[in-house]
Amino acid sequence: MIARIKSEITLWRVIVAIIFVTGLYATYIRFFEGFRASTNLSDQMPWGLWVGLGTLCGIGLSAAGFGISAAVYLLGMERYRPILRASILISFLGYLTVMVGYLYEIGLPWRFWHPIVMWNHRSMLFDVCICIMTYTTVLTFEFAPAVIEKLPWKAFRETVLRYHHKILIGVVLAGVLLSSMHQSYLGGLFLIARGKIHPLWYSQYMHALFYLSAIPAGLALTVMAIYLSMRSLNVRVDFSILSDCGRMIQMLLIVYAFFKFLDLVSNQALGYAFQRTSEAGYFWLEVLLFLAIPIFLLSYDFVRSNPERLYWTSAIVVAGFMVDRLNVSINSLQTAMGTHYVPKWTELASSVLVIAAGVIAFRYAVIYLDILPKMTVKPATRWISNAGVPAQA
Amino acid sequence: MTKQKAMLIDIKRCIGCLSCETACKQLHGFGTDPEPTLSDTAFTVVETRGGTFVRKVCMHCNDPACASACPVGAIGKTAMGPVVYNADKCIGCRYCMLACPYQVPRYQWTKLAPFVKKCDMCADRIEAGKSTACAEACPVEATIFGDRDSLIAEAWSRIRGDSSYVPRIYGLEELGGGSVLFVSDVPFEKLGFKPAPTGNQPMPTLTASALGDSPKVVIMGGTILSALYWVTQRRHEVALAEAEEKATINRSKGKRS
Ligand code: SF4
Ligand code: SF4
Repeated sequence: MIARIKSEITLWRVIVAIIFVTGLYATYIRFFEGFRASTNLSDQMPWGLWVGLGTLCGIGLSAAGFGISAAVYLLGMERYRPILRASILISFLGYLTVMVGYLYEIGLPWRFWHPIVMWNHRSMLFDVCICIMTYTTVLTFEFAPAVIEKLPWKAFRETVLRYHHKILIGVVLAGVLLSSMHQSYLGGLFLIARGKIHPLWYSQYMHALFYLSAIPAGLALTVMAIYLSMRSLNVRVDFSILSDCGRMIQMLLIVYAFFKFLDLVSNQALGYAFQRTSEAGYFWLEVLLFLAIPIFLLSYDFVRSNPERLYWTSAIVVAGFMVDRLNVSINSLQTAMGTHYVPKWTELASSVLVIAAGVIAFRYAVIYLDILPKMTVKPATRWISNAGVPAQA
Repeated sequence: MTKQKAMLIDIKRCIGCLSCETACKQLHGFGTDPEPTLSDTAFTVVETRGGTFVRKVCMHCNDPACASACPVGAIGKTAMGPVVYNADKCIGCRYCMLACPYQVPRYQWTKLAPFVKKCDMCADRIEAGKSTACAEACPVEATIFGDRDSLIAEAWSRIRGDSSYVPRIYGLEELGGGSVLFVSDVPFEKLGFKPAPTGNQPMPTLTASALGDSPKVVIMGGTILSALYWVTQRRHEVALAEAEEKATINRSKGKRS
């Protein structure tokens, strides 16, 4: 038994070590040898995996923070308070990874601050930059109490937290609005690429669709993160909250599916889904993973009320969401741009490094800060709900 | 007011001698080897499409997609017509490349401090009253430089005087028009000129409508959220007050009995 645990730990350590070594090497190539050596980007594919995975998925999957804080602070859905901090932490770390990724993406990273002082309000990307920077500040503010309350100076702690509490609601409100803006602006980035983006994805409402799809995906990632924390760390959350999240994810996915379908019909693009093209294939993959399978699975109680099944269903949602964002940012462009782009290993390795750093930071935050309710007594089963009924595990 | 300048490219007259391409390369010190497509060392190329020579070059749009897309405003249209790039502002995000409907901007992928590269219509030369290097080099006046108005008149007179021309000036109105105009004896669709994605509307209108909605959405969203918050708070207070009332009643009952 002990030997087995030991071997497991070493396996994870080995994986982490590999991720760090390859990622750091890739980072070295990116910054000291340039784009040609570190990417397969070209004039025909100026944006690739870093934007598709790093920025679009990174921001989209961090949508739970504003969703849950709106639910708890503004709508009074106190039920979700136990997972509030975890969702804010996920968003906070998500945005930090995006900021680090931004330095890889732009050709002149030492000019990262230019958008702050050089404004072009007609540019979607400018608005995205400003919103993301401001919202990261908001997240820092929302997350700060978790760190401040651990500081040793009592008087300082209390004053800061008192003022913090006074302006919290205003900041939360601003955060919700800012998030809504840039979650949709990320889709808005592609509005100007009309004629290049395949009709299965191009729509004058791309920004709205991006917004609608981000929230269920962000929730799904939160469910995954909390499940993993409960499984391997010393925390305990009433499982029925996660079950309810599952129900909510399903509902939001149905709403998104409805509008996506409506959009395809009104753009007369539905026919493209039945052509024998690679785009149609990617489209159906997205429909299956992001919509069909999760909506179907989440309608069953035996999926929603079982931690493991709920976890894997959430994982499918997250995977489907990533397929969607990569479809928009890469696959939908290839035909019109006359190119075939496959990311180089360095692009993937550096992205994975940044994500892994985020995951590790999450783990230690959960261990050392009060992110999720700590397990005080050892219960008979970990998956217990408040009513005292063990979930069917 | 300065008169807007332009270039007129006559596909029928072009003999494919590559003089424009070479002149451009020499001006920028890029060597003289011809390249198959635009690149960071080829701001214009002469492509062959079914036996016809087609010059490719930045269209110097009147309302350029690239300029509207650039987050730091590194690209702009000057009063004289050229769409110019300010390397001091650029952060290298390459959004201009994604935005340009003609796929013109190129990137220095091999450099450690890479910049965007594209034709600037010899902005410095024409500021000094000269013509563009390519127009100057063309031996058959297939590319000519001048005031946009008079070039449009010239284009129409060429079309009217020779029935083999397609009765259309490409670049006059497409996507809001620009400072580079084409006339041709072969239909433009057959020469790789894709149908304009937004017809005669400039590309930036695509983003403008989405951005234009956002103040409304923000104000509405903000109001709704504040209202919801107020309702939540109110409910909370009411619940508290009710509980207190109950408690007082119970207490007084307790006193009486
Ligand atoms: S053709 Fe492209 S690069 Fe040239 S001005 Fe128009 S949008 Fe900009
Ligand atoms: S690459 Fe440079 S010029 Fe092009 S949009 Fe980005 S900052 Fe502007």
